[in-house]
Amino acid sequence: MLKKHPLITFIFFGFILFLISNRLDEIRVYQGATVAIYAIGIASLILLIGYSGQVSLGHGAFLAIGGFAAALARIHYEAPIWLTFVVAVLAAAIGGALLGLAAARLSGPYLAGTTLALAIGLPSIANQFSILGGEQGITFDIGLPPASLGEDFTQYKWFFWISWTVALITLYWLRNILNSRYGRGWRAVRSNDVAAELAGIHVGRNKVLAFTISAGLAGLAGALLAMTISLASPGVFPLALSFSLATGAVLSGVTTLGGVMIGAVTLVAIPEIALAIANRYGSETITTNLPGLLVSALLILTVLFVPNGPVEQIHAKRAKKGHSSHSLVEISVRVGSKKWSTNKK
Amino acid sequence: MIRINRRKLITTSAVLAIAALTVAAVPAQAFNPSMADPGITGSTIKLGITSPLTGIAAPGYSKIPGAMKAYFDYVNTKGGVNGRKITLVSKDDQYIPTTAVAKANELILRDRVFALVGTLGTASTKALTASTQLSKRGVPSLFVNTGWSGFADKKAYPTTFSILPSYQMEAKIMAKFIKKEYTGKKLALIYQDDDFGRDALAGFKTAGLTFDTYIPYASGSQALPATGAGWISKLKTAGAEVTVLFGVSSASTAALANAYGAGFKTQWVLGSVGGDATTIAATSKNYVPLLNGAKGFSFAPAPTDTTDDYIKKFQEIYTAAYGTTQTFDNNVVAGMSNAFLVVQALKAAGKNLTRKGLISAIETKGSTFASPFLTPLGYSAKAHTGATGYWIGTYGPTGALTPDGGKYTVYTTDSGTGPVVESTYKRPAMPENGL
Repeated sequence: MLKKHPLITFIFFGFILFLISNRLDEIRVYQGATVAIYAIGIASLILLIGYSGQVSLGHGAFLAIGGFAAALARIHYEAPIWLTFVVAVLAAAIGGALLGLAAARLSGPYLAGTTLALAIGLPSIANQFSILGGEQGITFDIGLPPASLGEDFTQYKWFFWISWTVALITLYWLRNILNSRYGRGWRAVRSNDVAAELAGIHVGRNKVLAFTISAGLAGLAGALLAMTISLASPGVFPLALSFSLATGAVLSGVTTLGGVMIGAVTLVAIPEIALAIANRYGSETITTNLPGLLVSALLILTVLFVPNGPVEQIHAKRAKKGHSSHSLVEISVRVGSKKWSTNKK
Repeated sequence: MIRINRRKLITTSAVLAIAALTVAAVPAQAFNPSMADPGITGSTIKLGITSPLTGIAAPGYSKIPGAMKAYFDYVNTKGGVNGRKITLVSKDDQYIPTTAVAKANELILRDRVFALVGTLGTASTKALTASTQLSKRGVPSLFVNTGWSGFADKKAYPTTFSILPSYQMEAKIMAKFIKKEYTGKKLALIYQDDDFGRDALAGFKTAGLTFDTYIPYASGSQALPATGAGWISKLKTAGAEVTVLFGVSSASTAALANAYGAGFKTQWVLGSVGGDATTIAATSKNYVPLLNGAKGFSFAPAPTDTTDDYIKKFQEIYTAAYGTTQTFDNNVVAGMSNAFLVVQALKAAGKNLTRKGLISAIETKGSTFASPFLTPLGYSAKAHTGATGYWIGTYGPTGALTPDGGKYTVYTTDSGTGPVVESTYKRPAMPENGL
């Protein structure tokens, strides 16, 4: 159904979420909004790592740019909500393009190190400019839900609706772009950049473009995150956030967008599971430390047993059984006796 | 072209049907503001705190919830407040605003606490207050552990009450002291370049004190070895005879250690946040003696002052709860004082306890509450200001602050343009049984 009628599927999924939001208690609605934010953040990493083959360990930095940009647009220009998100995407995308220019020249651990340094350094820049509010940060208040939604309509439900509307539109758009010529170009570059280059794909430009789009999406997630907690401050975007997103991307499977929800739901569910265990057996110390342990264990298990994520695994199994898998792009170029191919097999 | 796959169609339909049924089966829960106040029964009151028990801010501050709990447990053994026993639900937010919001949500929506108490950190408190909509829900947030003057603003934060004096108040009192004691000396100021330090700059400006040298630092940079060394070389060049440090404890450590290393002597004047010996000791006990001779500011009696009725009682309660394994320090006094004020507020709100009644009790009677603090309390129907002044003392080699002249001389002021005056405030005596 997703393949044949993607738009209808997304709309239907949105409708189910709408029904859910009316029936869950407030804390679940708040967590639901967080799932949407993580889904966008993880999707932005999947685009970068899984499709264009560039590693980022510091995506939290782009979330920070988006969060601060949205809050500034709101405070100083009283921008409407939708415009704050546009500003967040643009600001983070510009940051991404600048880093992308450097990133296109780096690869592997060098690129990972660069992005990591960015995540450590960038949020602290907030302390250098008084306009960004220092450690205390700046408030990002989108105001109360429209009165027409009724008195009982809570703020968290409003955040949920906004986050999921934005997430569904983003994922739909991303799905399309990944299936377009750009997506195919990125995959070709990831698999073998020499072959891709020989096939006429501009490797550098493609890498920078992927970085820019990925950063823009991360900025969007950052704006939504700042919205749900009403604040943009360096503490909102710690290094742990960047690692969580990278973990979420691995759990989802970095090579397909299809598993994005797995990672997002896991990241939100794990602290809940830890809390339930702590309530039964122990203390607050368990609540603090258990999530890290569970996430690490899941990460190791994923890498060992389903290295490309559960969704890719299912696809592979079905391909083995003879079902048609999703189309793979293979570009091979032969010069004299030498052959380059984007399909390593 | 993709063929219609019957099996796939059936699977998808089944999944969607189950999803729809699940959704339909979950009972609808609407937010009902007219419900009776949660967290309270005829015999119990449930309170909640979120604070850093782990993470960067945990050393020192992590003792606060334990100290509060020890005091509440003591109150419970004496029959509770108006017949109700107090439970404190404590959550760890690691000093991360996002986590603080999640934990506050758990406290309010899941644990259904009656009120929040003693939340810590300006960013975390700002975030959780706005995101969980404390004022719309009418949840009292008693005695937040931050010196940001904004929380005393009743219009912006109708259900939040401060407890610490603001940074402006501290700077104004510091300025008066410096003008009097160090006339004609070369002055320097090291300050954290954010809301915290800028609040102090505003206070110094109001008080008309200018420094010969200003050294701002970006929050976080104080941890870099080069930063502290840079300060000292600047102070040396400027020939600073008196140096005020308005920053966090790690900045005090960096400044004192580098000055010691470079053999540079100046009269240190440390703000109350940066002069916390416990937090400095958490970095290394070797740094504590460097505090010796520095001037410091406090509004509570010194934890070592066993002649003080409140300190004596608090020490007794704390030792009964935790033995002598844990040091009785500033953070313990802060936690117990906070819990003490919460109990005074609950008592004042009376037998028919409601959230509204509690807020109104603090606004109308708060300034007359018994409190361990040596300064007047500023609670009124217009402002939610807590303690309003400081006494000045000198640090000894163990990091203990003792009042200058052998007695507490307390100065009081406001966060605006009001004058700094010597306080004539007579602190109410410790109530019977420590309640």
